[in-house]
Amino acid sequence: MSNIQNEMRAVAKELLESGKATVVLGWEKGTMPYDSTPVMIRSAADVDKLIWDEYCLQNLSTYLIDFINTEDKVAIFAKGCDTRAYNRLVHDRRINPKNSIVIGVPCSGMKNPKVAAKTPEGAEVPMANACKECRYPNPVACDQKIGSDVTPWCTAKDFSDVEAIEAMDADAKAAFWKEQYSKCIRCYACRNICPACNCTNCIFDQSASGWCSKDVNASENQFYGVTRAFHVAGRCIECGQCEAVCPSDIPIMLMNKKFIKDIDTLFGNYEAGLVTEGTTPLNSYQVADPEEFM
Amino acid sequence: MSNNAVENFEPKILVFACNWCTYAGADLAGTSRLQYPPNVRVLRVPCSCRVNPQFVLRAFQRGIDGVLVAGCHPGDCHYTTGNYYTRRRFLLITRMMDYMGIDSRRFHTRWISGAEGPKFQQVVTEMINEVKAIGPNDKFRDDAKIEVKAVETNE
Repeated sequence: MSNIQNEMRAVAKELLESGKATVVLGWEKGTMPYDSTPVMIRSAADVDKLIWDEYCLQNLSTYLIDFINTEDKVAIFAKGCDTRAYNRLVHDRRINPKNSIVIGVPCSGMKNPKVAAKTPEGAEVPMANACKECRYPNPVACDQKIGSDVTPWCTAKDFSDVEAIEAMDADAKAAFWKEQYSKCIRCYACRNICPACNCTNCIFDQSASGWCSKDVNASENQFYGVTRAFHVAGRCIECGQCEAVCPSDIPIMLMNKKFIKDIDTLFGNYEAGLVTEGTTPLNSYQVADPEEFM
Repeated sequence: MSNNAVENFEPKILVFACNWCTYAGADLAGTSRLQYPPNVRVLRVPCSCRVNPQFVLRAFQRGIDGVLVAGCHPGDCHYTTGNYYTRRRFLLITRMMDYMGIDSRRFHTRWISGAEGPKFQQVVTEMINEVKAIGPNDKFRDDAKIEVKAVETNE
């Protein structure tokens, strides 16, 4: 860990001093031991703020959107999922790859800060939910890389949790989701953190349209949940940031994974965020797609 | 809910009909004097792919008991490819509705061409009977927004 941290600082320093980058995005230590918060460094004197530990969970790629109208050259540190998020944003034409430098950092899984907050100091903290199922711990695309690749601990997508819900009867499913979404406070943290939710104008900010509302009740919240999941269907890169930032602990990835599972079974396996060109499952079609509507 | 209420239950069915095929098909059903129960509300859309899945969810929220999305057969789309996108979208959203606990019999997508007046009659009649049998939709409803409840339950 500390070797990677030293290397990160050295790389950041070199980039800032040479002027190849004007900003470096990385992580710094937050107020709690289980907090590693994003940091934006503009001066080589500040590079010692950068850290690399088992809580660098947050995906930094989405911050690149904030730099699209600036002259900045932005260097960002990116784990496997972050590089997929980066590809997602380039694919969606939301960031200009010419203005960014991606420094890949192989990651051996981050710990779950929410659990850590409730665990006594020194006790073992489990991996974050999305990290447990991670198939791309190594950067899938980067300009330079720090550290050496790790061996992925998962090779296939794990849909056991989705299947558990599918096996319930209709009333149990409805009750489950109603309970989950009754907790939603519509803070939109899931949307704001999501690299696939990158629209300039989100429909949920346009309540005057008349067909989505900001009301906070189980029905509207579920409407929001399904709609968001549908909007990222075929584009979700499974970083699990939505779930990680949710203050109400709603299992948002269960929704996203349902779409991923169905896309895989209906239209063929698809891995989002590996390429920056071409079509996604929902903006393309095959004449030979399954036909159920005759 | 008492059995009596379910027996007297008249479902509200919303049909999103594509302008070029299904709307013409529904028109043909009418001009051919084909009878079907009056529980359907037909909403004309330019193409079945105009139907955002949000419209369907919204309908269920606001007290609709069943939704039918109908358009041209694949290959016949007025806009060449619109219904291929509809197909992908609704294959997914049908499964998502089921996942959310909405009875899959309440939501259908069908291809009904302008020449298929009898098919329109048949699909709509079958759907109304099916929804009648399973009773009013109580999932996903935003009761705060529904001023008039569909069924009186405490008689």
